[in-house]
Amino acid sequence: MGKNMVFKIIFNIFLLLLIFPLFIILLWSFTKIWPWPDLFPKAFGLRGFQYLLNPSNNSLRILGLSIWLSTVVMFIAILISIPAAKALGLYHFKGKGFIKTLILAPIVVPTVAVTMGIHVSFISVGLANTFWGVVIVHLIPCIPYSVRILTDVFEIMGNSMELQARILGANKMQTFFYVTLPMLAPGLITAGSMVFIVSFSQYFLTFLIGGGKIVTFSMVMFPFIQSGDRMMASVYSMVFIWTTLLILISVERIVKSYYKGENYFYL
Amino acid sequence: MSQIELRNICKKFENKRILHHVNLLVQEGEMISLLGPSGCGKTTTLKIIAGLMEPDAGDILFNDTSILNIPVEKRGAIIVFQDYLLFPHLTVEENIEFGLKMAKVKKSKRREKVREMIDLVQLEGHEKKYPKELSGGQKQRVAIARALAIEPKVLLLDEPFSNLDTRLREIMREFICDIQRKFKITMILVTHDKEEALMTSSKIAVMLDGEIKQFGTPKEIYERPVSSLVADFFGEKNYVDGEIKEGIFYSIMGSFQTGLHKNGRVRAMIRPEEIEITPKGNIAGIIKNKTYAGEKIYYIIDCNGKRLKCITNGKTFYNIGEKINVYINFDNIVFFER
Repeated sequence: MGKNMVFKIIFNIFLLLLIFPLFIILLWSFTKIWPWPDLFPKAFGLRGFQYLLNPSNNSLRILGLSIWLSTVVMFIAILISIPAAKALGLYHFKGKGFIKTLILAPIVVPTVAVTMGIHVSFISVGLANTFWGVVIVHLIPCIPYSVRILTDVFEIMGNSMELQARILGANKMQTFFYVTLPMLAPGLITAGSMVFIVSFSQYFLTFLIGGGKIVTFSMVMFPFIQSGDRMMASVYSMVFIWTTLLILISVERIVKSYYKGENYFYL
Repeated sequence: MSQIELRNICKKFENKRILHHVNLLVQEGEMISLLGPSGCGKTTTLKIIAGLMEPDAGDILFNDTSILNIPVEKRGAIIVFQDYLLFPHLTVEENIEFGLKMAKVKKSKRREKVREMIDLVQLEGHEKKYPKELSGGQKQRVAIARALAIEPKVLLLDEPFSNLDTRLREIMREFICDIQRKFKITMILVTHDKEEALMTSSKIAVMLDGEIKQFGTPKEIYERPVSSLVADFFGEKNYVDGEIKEGIFYSIMGSFQTGLHKNGRVRAMIRPEEIEITPKGNIAGIIKNKTYAGEKIYYIIDCNGKRLKCITNGKTFYNIGEKINVYINFDNIVFFER
């Protein structure tokens, strides 16, 4: 047995370990009765999907809003991160190391504690219980990821291509749109997907700042998981997973269709 | 095309002197070399001409007009970098087209120019390829085509051949020289390779420690270097200290008639190839060492206690310890004042 074969087996075992829980969720989402200690469910049903698709429960509208909210967060996070990452990745200035650490702070410092304070300020400026309030608060845990990812990309990329573009007659805007952005594309896919997932799975921040007015998908899903309604929780989890997966695939498709050049690597 | 002039260009980085009063005049349609070891400020000079850096002092003139205030994208001084820097997300065609597209040239005109450039650099059939699919030589051709497409005022080549193997280097050198002659492009070539500079350029500027030590034709620079620093850059030399009195050079090796009419302490520079081993020689010596290198033989000869390096063609052999005579024509020797 070759080394390759061993590797393949180990790889497949890991793949199975990752995918197997998903099958259980899939099974649970159609299960009506599954008493202990049976190995297989006793009866199947469609109650979960009926509930999900029932217009009076607003599930799909909430899903739509969640996708829209996370997409907005994704765009804003990327928009903020590109200049920040460029500065951190390419320029030399005093206190750069400190700022790099500071950007990671939202991941290290408990966001919940900070958001309590933010909530008070948001109430006073009228951002609490609004869509944009939630967008802003979602940016806090998202930006560390996108800035870090894009900083690394800028570091690898360097600025030589941009300089070459300038020499060839491109002004700053043209350089950004024709050279920087396309070369950044693989990094944008990674950072964008990461931000989307982080935003899409936020529960507490949305709950606190949205004040029940802004309801996202993870917020309707959470009570089902908590209350132990496994069928409902599984149905919502399935939808959750498929939504993020589809979004990730479409982000990648869209970015790649704009910037061809296939799998070029940073020079 | 333009005449390029640098006047008293100075540049410092964090108090480290990079360029020190650099003056250079490149005539229209001329190809010159900036020759010097790495770190001497050659590339910085190119970047300043192109506008990627600003000089601390001095002026740059294209056709007698200062261009210091013109931003990099409008200068028309195009650098072709050592690693070509082709845009990886664009095809060969799109790379060549880039400058024209940025200048908002009409699409039909762009197509025409790209066609012309592809023909010029002989890359037919590669138009749709991405840079990663090209060989080193092809990448360089694309980089040159991309630069030429926008008809630059001056083309700046930064170590263009150093990433290529020996054979390809010769081909590309010929290719660039051909293009230069054909289009009469003002070109500045940065190199650390003396042969490259001697073979390609009509003039060479020898740059050491941020200063241009000498600027002249290859023949002038090679035969009449202004200092031992410049001379050393073109290969190993023998230096003999002595004194000139009334045209006679007195040294440890003996006294010799020279063509000079000055007096004073001097250092004679004798190239290894100017020392001829012959029975009719004017200096007696002993062979101390011998190194065989195919078409050449390197000898070290002891002449009255002064050791001289000597290169001969590989036709006659002398053994270590053999007593010989060498001939040096002191009329042609370069003397530096001490």
